[in-house]
Amino acid sequence: MRYVIVGNSAAAVGCITGIRKVDKENEIVVISYEDRCYSKPMIADVLVDFPEEKLLYRDEKFFEENGVTQILGHKAISINPESKVVVLDSGELVPYDKLLISTGAVPFVPPIEGSDKKGVFTFTELGSAKAFKEYIKENNVKEVIIIGSGFIGLEVAYFLREIGINVTVVELLDRVLGKALDKRGSEIVEKMLRDKGVNFIFNNTVERIEGDEKVTSVTLKSGDVLRADAVVVAIGVRPNVELAKTAGVEVNRGIVTDDHMATNVPDIYAAGDCIECLDITDGQRKPLPLFPLAFEQGFVAGLNMAGKKMEYLGGLPLNSLKFLEKPVLNAGIVEPPDDSYEVILNDQFEKKGYYRKAIIKDNRLVGFVAIGEIDRVGILTNLIRQRIDVSGIKDRLVSLDFGLVDLPQEWRKEKLVEDKTAYKDWRAV
Amino acid sequence: MSGKKRKLMKVYPIEENCISCRYCEVACTMVHSESQDPVKAYKLEGLKPRPTVEVKGAVSLSVMCRHCKHPFCFDACISGAITVDKNGKVNLDEDKCVGCWNCVLVCPFGAAHPFVERKHSFKCDLCEERGFPACVEACPNRALIYDFER
Repeated sequence: MRYVIVGNSAAAVGCITGIRKVDKENEIVVISYEDRCYSKPMIADVLVDFPEEKLLYRDEKFFEENGVTQILGHKAISINPESKVVVLDSGELVPYDKLLISTGAVPFVPPIEGSDKKGVFTFTELGSAKAFKEYIKENNVKEVIIIGSGFIGLEVAYFLREIGINVTVVELLDRVLGKALDKRGSEIVEKMLRDKGVNFIFNNTVERIEGDEKVTSVTLKSGDVLRADAVVVAIGVRPNVELAKTAGVEVNRGIVTDDHMATNVPDIYAAGDCIECLDITDGQRKPLPLFPLAFEQGFVAGLNMAGKKMEYLGGLPLNSLKFLEKPVLNAGIVEPPDDSYEVILNDQFEKKGYYRKAIIKDNRLVGFVAIGEIDRVGILTNLIRQRIDVSGIKDRLVSLDFGLVDLPQEWRKEKLVEDKTAYKDWRAV
Repeated sequence: MSGKKRKLMKVYPIEENCISCRYCEVACTMVHSESQDPVKAYKLEGLKPRPTVEVKGAVSLSVMCRHCKHPFCFDACISGAITVDKNGKVNLDEDKCVGCWNCVLVCPFGAAHPFVERKHSFKCDLCEERGFPACVEACPNRALIYDFER
């Protein structure tokens, strides 16, 4: 038996961990075109003086201890499911018995005129992050335009301010984090970033990137022209499914997997940002490119690849803004789509520096936002995951001392006394 | 999962016995401090307790890391600061932690706490260096017991 994993990030490490829970013996091979196993959500940190070894997600010792052979610096370009081999760009053939595709996501770059000029960057790879940092130094960059106000865009904006560069974020919607956060949350995040010196332009977009060879300015849809020494495109990512397609793996918006993380092609599994994940808040399958979910999917895939049948519970969309002075967390549905949802607020941001919001449907918590004071909000995440009835404790949900004492006594008995904390025990009831 | 039962001892709260005296919180903060002094630990070192005493009406209990069989914090940790040892003990390396707060966001017990000022999380380490959990020792009413995992 030989396990092969394409990709070397959260899902891959999750998969190795899962396989080794069951199978301590057989060979695992990891293929990645990058040179190390670093943490993708941490790459924006390279813009400030951040020790590079801190970016490492798993060190060599991890791979040694788990008996993993790494093939680094080579891209897997195709899969032949008949002969069960992965073909590398070097021409090498890597045979597999069980294969995991965890090729992640690639930045989405819309067709903007001039986006091929020097000085235009995306931000999902360590290589491009470092190249951007170099470019800033070498070209004495003073003004940066960031297209998109998602997590990556805002984080890059924040760190650029830290190193004294002027930043303008151009966003198509009317607020930051439009897809991830509620309106009030967006307002708070925007204020924190404005205080830091970040400029925002909403309801607008970059239509053209100007300059001879290098970027010198951008022209907005509104017609305004802004100086730009560099441009960061951070609109979003889409599943990287190129490799999967070569094997005839079914792809919809992302790679399609079953509950065991298996694709339609025998012995090929997939996990992470390249797949469509079951969203437990609405039951839809969609790309949810989030680190914890990628790890978990990889872990479940690993168990199944090694022969232990385990169903994936599905993913809960959740986010944490890690760079601001005040933490911003959210999970599930943050803005009620219609009147059938109840909203409970505890907005003390101006007075006490925190904001809490809970969204309830049919007596079940379906989402929350927590800003400023975040201690123990995981208890709320669990309420969503396990669909616990909150009818008697609705107002408590947004209170800072909400805790396990508010949960049913039966729950405490099961989890605290009986230790029911295995993966299957966290299934929604 | 490999069939073998984990050999882990951890702290179990007995809510019937808890009188919410918070001695566990004090003892925890003290043993994790430089000064080894409960007042200095709070006031000068700004430390926070790893167990949380929760009170609601007549019910109270002390909650700390459960070292889950499937720790969501481990899944969610982006820096690799959270690890699980062979017995299933969940460790959090505060020096490696970058303060992404994912563990805080996913812990079903609220037992991974944010130390926002210092940009790292912290949680119960079962007083590994000390050998026996200080909270259990300090509890005057046998509301915390140190026992094998069930």
